[in-house]
Amino acid sequence: MKQKKTLLTVISIVVLFLGVYLADQNLDSYKMRILNLCAIYVVLGLSMNLINGFTGLFSLGHAGFMAVGAYTTAILTMPDVVKGQNFFMVPMMKPLDTMHVPFFLALLIGGIFAGIVGYLIGAPALRLRGDYLAIATLGFAEIIRVVFTNIQSVTNGALGLKGIPESSNIWWTVGVATVTVLFIGSLINSSYGRAFKAIREDEIAAESMGISLFKHKVLAFTIGAFFAGVGGGLLGSLMGTIDPLMFRFFLTFNILLIIILGGMGSITGTIISAFIITIGGEALRFLDESMTIGNLVIPGISGLRMVVFSALLMIVVLFFNRGIMGTNEFTWDRLFAKFGKKPLAKGGSKQ
Amino acid sequence: MNLLKVENVSMIFGGLTAVKEFNLDLNQGEIVALIGPNGAGKTTAFNMITGVYRPTIGRISYKGNDITGQRPDQITKQGIARTFQNIRLFKDLTVLDNVLIANHLHLKSNFLEATFKLPRYRREEKRILEKSLSLLEKVGLVDAQNEKSSSLPYGKQRRLEIARALATNPEILLLDEPAAGMNPKETDDLTEFIRQIRDEFHLSIFMIEHHMQVVMGISDRICVFDHGVTIAEGNPYEIQNNQKVIEAYLGVAEDYA
Repeated sequence: MKQKKTLLTVISIVVLFLGVYLADQNLDSYKMRILNLCAIYVVLGLSMNLINGFTGLFSLGHAGFMAVGAYTTAILTMPDVVKGQNFFMVPMMKPLDTMHVPFFLALLIGGIFAGIVGYLIGAPALRLRGDYLAIATLGFAEIIRVVFTNIQSVTNGALGLKGIPESSNIWWTVGVATVTVLFIGSLINSSYGRAFKAIREDEIAAESMGISLFKHKVLAFTIGAFFAGVGGGLLGSLMGTIDPLMFRFFLTFNILLIIILGGMGSITGTIISAFIITIGGEALRFLDESMTIGNLVIPGISGLRMVVFSALLMIVVLFFNRGIMGTNEFTWDRLFAKFGKKPLAKGGSKQ
Repeated sequence: MNLLKVENVSMIFGGLTAVKEFNLDLNQGEIVALIGPNGAGKTTAFNMITGVYRPTIGRISYKGNDITGQRPDQITKQGIARTFQNIRLFKDLTVLDNVLIANHLHLKSNFLEATFKLPRYRREEKRILEKSLSLLEKVGLVDAQNEKSSSLPYGKQRRLEIARALATNPEILLLDEPAAGMNPKETDDLTEFIRQIRDEFHLSIFMIEHHMQVVMGISDRICVFDHGVTIAEGNPYEIQNNQKVIEAYLGVAEDYA
């Protein structure tokens, strides 16, 4: 039975990549870009869900960790010439201007740097709880952004970085998303995952059961920051250009929207809602443009589509206050139970 | 053999002395009860031993080591486990998960070994699962292992909390009002159960309890608190006949001239 399930998982991953191949062949670049964004938001959503959903730490520092990852990856992959063109105001700091590593390594280093920053922020901030932690992490994320705006010889300040090699493609993004799903899924189902959930449920009881609150909170926070950094690196290389203004609170809010809609503490929910929010965000773009209904001409109001999301969020909070999935997960057992004895009939559906 | 030694411990919150000069010696295999009227400082004494509060004055030692002011998780790791007056289970998790979590403190594998399911972690996980199931078997909850812990009836929740505490491999078990809210039948079962786990797991038990039938039935010694002060200590017979204890519970007879 266990082997059968592993086999099913492997098959569905193969089917997933087959689907990616077909999409890559048939869809235009605009649609591919949206798919890429979906996959990146899966990574970002999961990393935030690990901190906020599974461990129950209300953290709003995600944009900061993403900035660290995005800048690190960008700086490590940009060719010398492009760096020269970018840094025309203040020359780039010495060893950095000729430094580059392969894309994969750059992503990994970006993630590790974000993890280190996460650790340094987490160590003092995680002594706070609830709203106070949210305020502190939000503040730290802003500090990172302001620092990046001001260390011009490293980040090119407010001018941002342009011409980042667009190394990431659908294979990278879906690949990283798959690895993230498997990694965080496996972590959550281990003894450490249970300890995280125990902290979410009841800190006092968890501590009395011998779980060191500080160690486990910092661990969840650091792993979350690592994946946020990797997601940021992917995003930067997909966009081809980054600047500090990209990493404002709005970005954190977007990810928060994904995990609240999908369900705090559900990997499946995060995946589903990452797709809903990202595709929805593009599909609703017409709301921002000027519209003609009969004789009435409505001038374009930029940001109108966010109203839809705000309304959606309110509906979710009011009526489905645990999100689409709550803390439930997709498992093969659940699927078997639903479809009786024909497991292979639906074997390929990952969501 | 002396396991736990509490010496002249006081807890002062601002102007209020919640516990004053509390002394306790807990020996191997003993069951000691702490009784007293509401607000006497019993739970505060518990919280000091388990590290929730740091005593204002005094020293607490376990097997000769000073544990005063250590964190609750450090104290649990050394072998002092507890339950709570108002049950604190992990409500949204299953019965089995509740017990599995209590094994986490002895896990040697790091998070990467756990995530990638490396051999050492697999071995540990297997052992943890077996141990947890046998614990659930002993407390009679093995059939409910996949149920949400909050869906259990009250008496079973109490038992689960004790099973969870036992999973941390304690030598001393602190029970905070284990019989609270139980009917007479459940109370009798509990008394028997406490004695049984004491023998099976070689425990020393220190408990707070209001239910006199339980207290008098199983305690080797009893400690009586009133307004944070220890007013009496002794075996059940001595306590039952102690004038101060009777006064604390029933009030003082005043002479009207």
